[in-house]
Amino acid sequence: MPTVVVMDVSLSMTRPVSVEGSEEYQRKHLAAHGLTMLFEHMATNYKLEFTALVVFSSLWELMVPFTRDYNTLQEALSNMDDYDKTCLESALVGVCNIVQQEWGGAIPCQVVLVTDGCLGIGRGSLRHSLATHTQRSESNRFPLPFPFPSKLYIMCMANLEELQSTDSLDCLERLIDLNNGEGQIFTIDGPLCLKNVQSMFGKLIDLAYTPFHAVLKCGHLTADVQVFPRPEPFVVDEEIDPIPKVINTDLEIVGFIDIADISSPPVLSRHLVLPIALNKEGDEVGTGITDDNEDENSANQIAGKIPNFCVLLHGSLKVEGMVAIVQLGPEWHGMLYSQADSKKKSNLMMSLFEPGPEPLPWLGKMAQLGPISDAKENPYGEDDNKSPFPLQPKNKRSYAQNVTVWIKPSGLQELNRLRKAALAFGFLDLLKGVADMLERECTLLPDTAHPDAAFQLTHAAQQLKLASTGTSEYAGYEHNITPLHTDFSGSSTERM
Amino acid sequence: MKIFSESHKTVFVVDHCPYMAESCRQHVEFDMLVKNRTQGIIPLAPISKSLWTCSVESSMEYCRIMYDIFPFKKLVNFIVSDSGAHVLNSWTQEDQNLQELMAALAAVGPPNPRADPECCSILHGLVAAVETLCKITEYQHEARTLLMENAERVGNRGRIICITNAKSDSHVRMLEDCVQETIHEHNKLAANSDHLMQIQKCELVLIHTYAVGEDSLVSDRPKKELSPVLTSEVHSVRAGRHLATKLNILVQQHFDLASTTITNIPMKEEQHANTSANYDVELLHHKDAHVDFLKSGDTHIGGSSREGSFKETITLKWCTPRTNNIELHYCTGAYRISPVDVNSRPSSCLTNFLLNGRSVLLEQPRKSGSKVISHMLSSHGGEIFLHVLSSSRSILEDPPSISEGCGGRVTDYRITDFGEFMRENRLTPFLDPRYKIDGTLEIPLERAKDQLEKHTRYWPMIISQTTIFNMQAVVPLASVIVKESLTEEDVLNCQKTIYNLVDMERKNDPLPISTVGTRGKGPKRDEQYRIMWNELETLVRAHINNSEKHQRVLECLMACRSKPPEEEERKKRGRKREDKEDKSEKAVKDYEQEKSWQDSERLKGILERGREELAEAEIIKDSPDSPEPPNKKPLVEMDEAPPVEKSKGPVSLLSLWSNRINTANSRKHQEFAGRLNSVNNRAELYQHLKEENGMETTENGKGSRQ
Repeated sequence: MPTVVVMDVSLSMTRPVSVEGSEEYQRKHLAAHGLTMLFEHMATNYKLEFTALVVFSSLWELMVPFTRDYNTLQEALSNMDDYDKTCLESALVGVCNIVQQEWGGAIPCQVVLVTDGCLGIGRGSLRHSLATHTQRSESNRFPLPFPFPSKLYIMCMANLEELQSTDSLDCLERLIDLNNGEGQIFTIDGPLCLKNVQSMFGKLIDLAYTPFHAVLKCGHLTADVQVFPRPEPFVVDEEIDPIPKVINTDLEIVGFIDIADISSPPVLSRHLVLPIALNKEGDEVGTGITDDNEDENSANQIAGKIPNFCVLLHGSLKVEGMVAIVQLGPEWHGMLYSQADSKKKSNLMMSLFEPGPEPLPWLGKMAQLGPISDAKENPYGEDDNKSPFPLQPKNKRSYAQNVTVWIKPSGLQELNRLRKAALAFGFLDLLKGVADMLERECTLLPDTAHPDAAFQLTHAAQQLKLASTGTSEYAGYEHNITPLHTDFSGSSTERM
Repeated sequence: MKIFSESHKTVFVVDHCPYMAESCRQHVEFDMLVKNRTQGIIPLAPISKSLWTCSVESSMEYCRIMYDIFPFKKLVNFIVSDSGAHVLNSWTQEDQNLQELMAALAAVGPPNPRADPECCSILHGLVAAVETLCKITEYQHEARTLLMENAERVGNRGRIICITNAKSDSHVRMLEDCVQETIHEHNKLAANSDHLMQIQKCELVLIHTYAVGEDSLVSDRPKKELSPVLTSEVHSVRAGRHLATKLNILVQQHFDLASTTITNIPMKEEQHANTSANYDVELLHHKDAHVDFLKSGDTHIGGSSREGSFKETITLKWCTPRTNNIELHYCTGAYRISPVDVNSRPSSCLTNFLLNGRSVLLEQPRKSGSKVISHMLSSHGGEIFLHVLSSSRSILEDPPSISEGCGGRVTDYRITDFGEFMRENRLTPFLDPRYKIDGTLEIPLERAKDQLEKHTRYWPMIISQTTIFNMQAVVPLASVIVKESLTEEDVLNCQKTIYNLVDMERKNDPLPISTVGTRGKGPKRDEQYRIMWNELETLVRAHINNSEKHQRVLECLMACRSKPPEEEERKKRGRKREDKEDKSEKAVKDYEQEKSWQDSERLKGILERGREELAEAEIIKDSPDSPEPPNKKPLVEMDEAPPVEKSKGPVSLLSLWSNRINTANSRKHQEFAGRLNSVNNRAELYQHLKEENGMETTENGKGSRQ
C-alpha cells in the first residue's frame, strides 16, 4: 500500500509555537519532526513501503517520487521552503495524478496529509471547494473520493480546540466523508510540542504502519512470518454483513492444488510472506532484509542458517508448480505460491480470495474440498494424468450449448431445434414457411435424386405444418419429428 | 454490490392478449436459398413475427445474457397474462435456466387472436408479479436463517419488466396505480406472514411495444418515484429488432454490464479454409472488468456497437497464444461473459476455441504503441471468464529474495520429499455429503487439515536432520504409518520393513547418516544404527494412538530393534554427544505415552532367542486377525543363520518372566513372511522391486523416486 505524504508548506505553517524551552519552533518544524518519526519507523519496520512526498501551497510539487529510500525522504524534509496560501483541492488533484500514473486505479494507497488546519482563503480554499463540489463537470470533478482505493489520514498541526474555534474541523471531516469515510483526522492532544506531535504520529503508526505478523502452519510445521503489505479488512456485503472481516494471525494450510487447476484465480490482494525470526519477547529480529547495522547482520546470518518452513514450502511449490490453499478465517481462503520477479529472485507470496463459501466456481465450495486419500480412487490418476478440476456447472451457458444455425434445414436434427424454438417463441408462421420451402424443394429435386429424398421432404413439411396449427398432438414441445420409415432396398433389415 | 438489490428478483410480465398476435410488420428473410440459384424460382411469401414472438424472443435474450453472466443469485420469474396470470416458473434455482422457460413458453403457445379481448388484461400479470415479489427466495431464506436476530438486514427488492401494448398514457398510469395499490395490499399481508416478505423497493419497467410503421400512443418517461417503494419508467418501443435492442440495453443497465469487443481475431474463412480474416466479437460482462479504464479515464472506446444503442464498448486486441504453458497470472477479477451475438460464426468460433481449454491474452491498444496486456479470456469448466490482469507497477517489486531471509542459507531442504508430500495432500471435491460415525456431517476440508496434522507429526525439514527419510528401505513403513488406519497388509509391510532393517544391521550395511557438522568420519556403524532406530521409533511412536494396528507396528519395532548392552551402558553413564534425533524425539513428546520401554532394551536378545525357539518349535499358524497376504511370492534359497541377535550375559528372573510374556504375545503377532517362507532361513527381500524395475535396487540410500 504505497503512501503519499502531502505536506502543507503555506505561510501559515511558519506560525511559531510557544514552547516553554529556549528554542522557538514553527508548526512546520513540528510537522517535520512527526514525519521524521514516521519515516524512521518505516525504514526499520516497514521497509518495503513505497512513499512519495508532495508539498503544496497554492501550487503543488512532487518533491520525492515513490521510493523506499527513506534517507532521500528525510533529506527532502529539511529542504522545504515556505510558500503562499493553502490550496488543498489542487494538491489532492496532484495526488490523484501521481498515484494513477504510478500504480493505476486498483492499488490501494494511503494519503497522509500534514496541515495546520488553515484551509486557505478565497478561490481554491477548502471552503470554496466544498461549497462548489456538487456543481462540477466531469472534467473538473472534485478529487475525492480518490479514484483508487484509499485511506486519507489528516495530521493536524493544531489541537482540537483550535480547529473547533473555526469550521476547519467540519471541513476536514467533510473531506473524509467525501472519501467514502475512508480515513481519519488526527489532532494534537494538549499543547503543541514535540512530545505531543510524537504521540499523534505514534497513533498513525499504530493504525496504519504496524507490520502484520502471523504464524504460517501446515500441520505441525510452522514458521513465523510477516505479511506485507498488511492485509486490509474486507466488507463482503455492506447490507447483510457490514462488519469488516480481518484475516487470522494463524495462516493454516489446508491442502495443495496444481497451478493448472487453480488457473489464475481472481484475488483481492497479494502479499509477500516473509519468514521472520522472533526473539523471546516476540520482537522481530530480522526479516533478512539487508541492513547496515552489524548486530542485525549477524542476527540475520544466524537466522539464515536455521531451517525455516517458508523456504522449504517455497522451494517445493516452485518445483512442483503447485499452490497451497490457506485458511484465512471462517469461510475465507487464499493461496500461497512461489513468485519470481524479473530479476529471477523468487519469493513466497500469498493472495487473498474473496471471502465466501465458494470464491472460485471452478473449485466448488471450499468446505467440500477434502484429501485425495478419502476418495475411492485417486482423482489425479495413478500416473498423475488427470484432475478433478475444473468442476462443471450444472447448466451450460448459452455459448456452450449447441449453436443453432437457423433456417438452413440441413437435417432433421436442425429441423427439430428450429421447431422447438419456433414453438417457444410462438413463431408458428416460420414453421409454415419452412414447410412451404421444403415442399418447393421437393418439386425442384433433380432426376438423379434418391426417391427417398422426396418422401422425407414431404414428410418433414407435413409434420411442420401440423405443428404450426398449434394442435396439441403435433405441437408438443418435447415431440420430435422422426424420419419417415421407408424401405427402398427391398430388405427391411439392411436399412436404418 | 449488495446481494439483495433490485436485480436479485426480476419478474417478466408479458402480455398474451389477442392483440399481441398481430404482426410486428417487420419481414423476416427466410427463403435464403433462392438467392444462390439461377433459375427463376418464385420466392415464398415473406413472413413476419407477431408482437408476442418479438416480446418473448427479446425477454429470452435478456434472460440468456443474465443467466450467462449471473448463473446464481439473480432470479427471474416469468408471467404471461391474458384472461388470467400464468406463472411459468418459481424462484428456485432449478427453475432458473433458459430450457425450463422455453419449454414453459411452448406450452403456453402464441396468443389466440380469436379470444375475447374483454376478458384479457395485462393487469392479471402485474398483480401476480407483485405477489411473487413477496415470495421469499431460497437465497433470502438462507441469509435470514444465517443472520438469526439480524434477519431484517436481508432486503426484499425487485424489478417488474412488463411488455405490453398500451392504449394511452393514461392507460399506463392506470397500470402503475394498480401496481402501487397491489404492493400496498400485499405488504400488509406479508407483514403477518413468515413465508412472505414485504417489498421494500420495486422498480417497474413498462415497455409499450407496437407494430413497425404505427404511431406510438404512449410516450417515453424516465424513471420516476411514485412512492417510497415504487419507481416506474416507461419505454415506448417499436417491435421487431428494436424491442430486442431495448431489452439488450436494459439488461446491461439492470445488471451493471459493460461491453468489450475483441478485435483482430484470426479466423479461417468458411469458403476458403486456407485463408484467414480478422473478426471482431462483442462480449458483455460485469462492468468491474473495466475498472482500470473507468477510473483512469484512459478509455479507448470504439464506435457505438450497434444501431440505436448508445452503449460504449472497449476494444481489446486478441494476442494469439504462443504456447499452452501454465502460468499463474496476477488477476484482480474474473467475470463471466456472454457473447452479444451468440449464434454468429465469429462468436461461436471464439467461444469454442476458449471452451477447448485455450486462454487468450488481450492487449490494450495504446496510442504510444507500447504493448499492455490487460485482460485474459479463459474457460473454467465450460464457463468463460474475462480475467482482469494487473498491468500497473507492482508495489511488491524488488522484494528481498527468499534466499536472503530466515532459513535462506540452508541448502539441504527436503524439497523433493515435500513435493511428494504436497501431491499426497492435494485436494479434491467431495460433492456428496458424508457423515461421521456419530451421524454428524463430515466437512471434507477438516479431513484435509486432519491429514496434514497426521502427516507432519514427524517431518524433518532438512536432509541432514534425518536418516530414515534418506533410506529407500524405510519408505514402505514411512508412507503408511501416517495413515489414519492401517490394513493388515500395511502392518505386514511395516513389519517387513523393520525385519529388513534388522537384516541390514546384521550385515553391517552402511547408513546414509549425515556427516554435516561432525569431524572425521562421523559416528561408528553401531552408533549409526542406534540413531536410525531411535528416529524410526520417534516416527512410529508419533502415530501409535491412531489405531491398535499402529501399536502393533511399534511393538514389532521395539521387539526387533537391538541395542548392544554395552552401548546401553554407555548411554546410561551419560554421553556428552547429544544427537540430532533427540531433538526430533522432543518434537513428538506429546505422543509419547510410555517411557518405560528403555528398561526392556536388555531383554531384547533373550526375547529374540525366545522367538527363534518358538519359530522352530511350532509351526506358526496365522492368527485370525492377521491373515496371510494374498500376494505372497515364492522366495529364493538361503543358507545362513537367522538374522537374530543372541543375548549376552546371564539371564535374570525378570528376563525369564518377560520372555514368557513375550512368547505369549508373539503368538498374536504375524510372523515375518520372509522367515515363514524362507529356504534355509534365507529370504530374498524386495523381489517385487526387481520385477518392477527390471534392475537391482539399492536397499539403502535413497533411490530415485518416480
